[in-house]
Amino acid sequence: MTMSFRKSLLAASVSLAALLGAPVLAQEATFVFATNEVGAPTYNPIKATNLNAATTLIFDRMVSQAADLSYHPWLAESWEEAPDGMSWVFHLKPGVTFHNGEPFNAETVKAWLELFKGSENAYMAEAIASVEVVDDLTVKFVMSRPEPNLLYNFSSSYMSVVEPKSYAALGDNYGVTEVYGTGPFKLESFAVGQETVLVRNEDYKWGSPLAKNQGPAHIARLTFREIAEDSTAFLELKTGGVDMLLGVPADLLAEVQKEANLAVLTLPGQDVYYMPINVTKPPFDDIRVREAAAKAINQDEILASVFGGVGSVAHTFLIDALPESHVADSAKISYDPVRAAAALDEAGWVMGADGVRAKDGQPLKVSLWTQSDSSFRRLTEVVQAQLKAVGIEAEITTFDSSMIRDQYKTGEQQLAVRSYNWDNADIVDWFLGGDRLGYPNVSMFNDPKAEELRAAAMTGAKNMDERVKNFTAYHEYVLTQFPVAPIYQPVTSVGYNSERLAMPAELNAPSVGAIAIMDMEVKE
Amino acid sequence: MRAVLRAFRRPMGAIAGGWLLAMIFVAVFAAWLTPYDYDIQALKEAYQPPSPAHWLGTDEFGRDLLTRLFHGARTSLSVSSIAIGISVLCGMVLGAAAGWFGGRFDRAVTVVVDLTWSFPEILIALILVAIIGPGTTGTMAAIGVAYLAQFTRLTRAQIMMLKGETFIEAARSLGAGNAHILFRHLLPNALAPVLVSAMLATGDAIILEATLGFFGLGAQPPTPSWGAMMSAGSALVFKAPWIILFPGLAVAITVVAINLFGDALIAELDIRARMRRAA
Repeated sequence: MTMSFRKSLLAASVSLAALLGAPVLAQEATFVFATNEVGAPTYNPIKATNLNAATTLIFDRMVSQAADLSYHPWLAESWEEAPDGMSWVFHLKPGVTFHNGEPFNAETVKAWLELFKGSENAYMAEAIASVEVVDDLTVKFVMSRPEPNLLYNFSSSYMSVVEPKSYAALGDNYGVTEVYGTGPFKLESFAVGQETVLVRNEDYKWGSPLAKNQGPAHIARLTFREIAEDSTAFLELKTGGVDMLLGVPADLLAEVQKEANLAVLTLPGQDVYYMPINVTKPPFDDIRVREAAAKAINQDEILASVFGGVGSVAHTFLIDALPESHVADSAKISYDPVRAAAALDEAGWVMGADGVRAKDGQPLKVSLWTQSDSSFRRLTEVVQAQLKAVGIEAEITTFDSSMIRDQYKTGEQQLAVRSYNWDNADIVDWFLGGDRLGYPNVSMFNDPKAEELRAAAMTGAKNMDERVKNFTAYHEYVLTQFPVAPIYQPVTSVGYNSERLAMPAELNAPSVGAIAIMDMEVKE
Repeated sequence: MRAVLRAFRRPMGAIAGGWLLAMIFVAVFAAWLTPYDYDIQALKEAYQPPSPAHWLGTDEFGRDLLTRLFHGARTSLSVSSIAIGISVLCGMVLGAAAGWFGGRFDRAVTVVVDLTWSFPEILIALILVAIIGPGTTGTMAAIGVAYLAQFTRLTRAQIMMLKGETFIEAARSLGAGNAHILFRHLLPNALAPVLVSAMLATGDAIILEATLGFFGLGAQPPTPSWGAMMSAGSALVFKAPWIILFPGLAVAITVVAINLFGDALIAELDIRARMRRAA
């Protein structure tokens, strides 16, 4: 009697220990989004303008992109483009199902692409005039014009393949309360601005060939937390509250590297920091004043002092990895205080005794807008001092990061400091296209010649070589008009707890998303 | 005024008052106290810990932190005291008028004032800064409005209480008009509690100014304010903890000093006893 009581007590305590211990030992991990992904309001890729890294785990894409930006199969096993670029045939992977049990086939691709019409991200699929279902696993896209950028679009998280039936049934709730993709993880819960919990899709066996593991992920349960303040996120990582930060800012890198249990993974960045110059607001309607402001920016000093030498300087509007960034040297914008001073002299702005230039009794005072994140404020103060050095007095106005886009829409800005994250040349069209004045076109740039070059770049290319050529020409011309001053290109630094997480030895992806996480393991 | 001097004779009042006088001194003479400029960047000297050359170290732009702290005192003290000044002036006029005239005017004022009273000051200030725009003027106006309710209510209550006193009745029977009674008899008697409460509110206003500055909505760079300095320092707390530490201490000590001095003043003015007598 006593014996059996003891035994059952032992058994009970063992099972209790197992229950309590289970969450610690299992393949569970907690990640923190990069701060620019905090507050993404939905996992609906068709309507979203800001998607976080968890999106890449819920959904798969037709095409995957390697670290060298080349394209590889994923849900599409292969594809052919017609010689004239007016049609594409995609062969789909068999045996793929969505989280709600629906099959993935040619019909779902057709229905999915229909959803783009009239949506926020319609431009991604707008060159596809119609979709023909050839057979269950073959689709043909009939194009309205050649679209050399199609593979890029199909590899973008904004073209994550959604399940069309539930999309229609859920309406605005799709991506918020429920979401169904074919990805390696299913959404368990989502609280905007706080936390997303994902659980492993046990049926998954169609991962990108760029990852070693195409089967179910090693990690069973993933929690993504949203922490707006970098130093708070770092403390969580340091004290073991979280296992990985998807974005470590340059000024915290040294702190992460100092810790024995933490490690940093560095990837090429996709951000560009720049200073938009409103070409419609005097004195910046004078191209010489724009040139002076742009050439007053000392990129090297900013790289060294604000970003601790991590990353690289920017001399064009595009990240260096893109071929369209290779513009003529004369178009590249670099620090040149002598030319800046000369341009201001030519424009009639004479240096005053107080270090501020003036013309007709008017001092050269301009506004400089920035957002409230501490890294932006720090960068902007250095920009302010650099402008002052050539005689431009800039008054900083700080806006809350969530409100500043609406402020730009007023068109009242003169100078600003901001950044974008994108790895395709079409970002020149997005931020400097003449039909998006205010925001995204903070520079209010609308130039007839630029618009011509823009049309050729966006819709006039028949193949990739032509597209690169046209976009390079467009980008090059835009730079010579000084609607922006390029500043800085960061690298993406991921900080993780190396005692908890085993990283894949080799990561063949441009960023930490599905491909990296498929090969990641929690050390037990 | 004599009560203020007497407050200095109390030990706590002397320490607190001494600190406040010192802060006012550095705020006024900030430009002459250190060999550095508050706004000239020396990026190669950034993040230096406290040293004989820079007593409190340098900030992320290589600027002397002590110089920034002194100029920050100017921003914090002037913004908060001007804001409270606006608040007291408008609050006393509104409150006195409401308390004296009564009736519909009183009800209208009370409803509006009670409505703003029911919101936290920071909320009112944030809304107003969003409307007016960030900067020193916006912050002053926002803080001024945020504390308006407090002084309106206080003055109104004082006036209502004093209105029925015998000396007012006497003045009236001698033929004194509304303005004479209000300005010569009522307001002088209502002044003491309002001033003490203004003193304490200035402490809160410094915190509110620092909060707005922390959010980047107060004085805009390169003008230093204690809140903005703390905000910049919070992102650098591991790399250069002194950047957040010293402005933080300045805010904390100044606010505590204001409260302690306010306590000493209350004791000297004997306000509670006087209110008991009045009741």
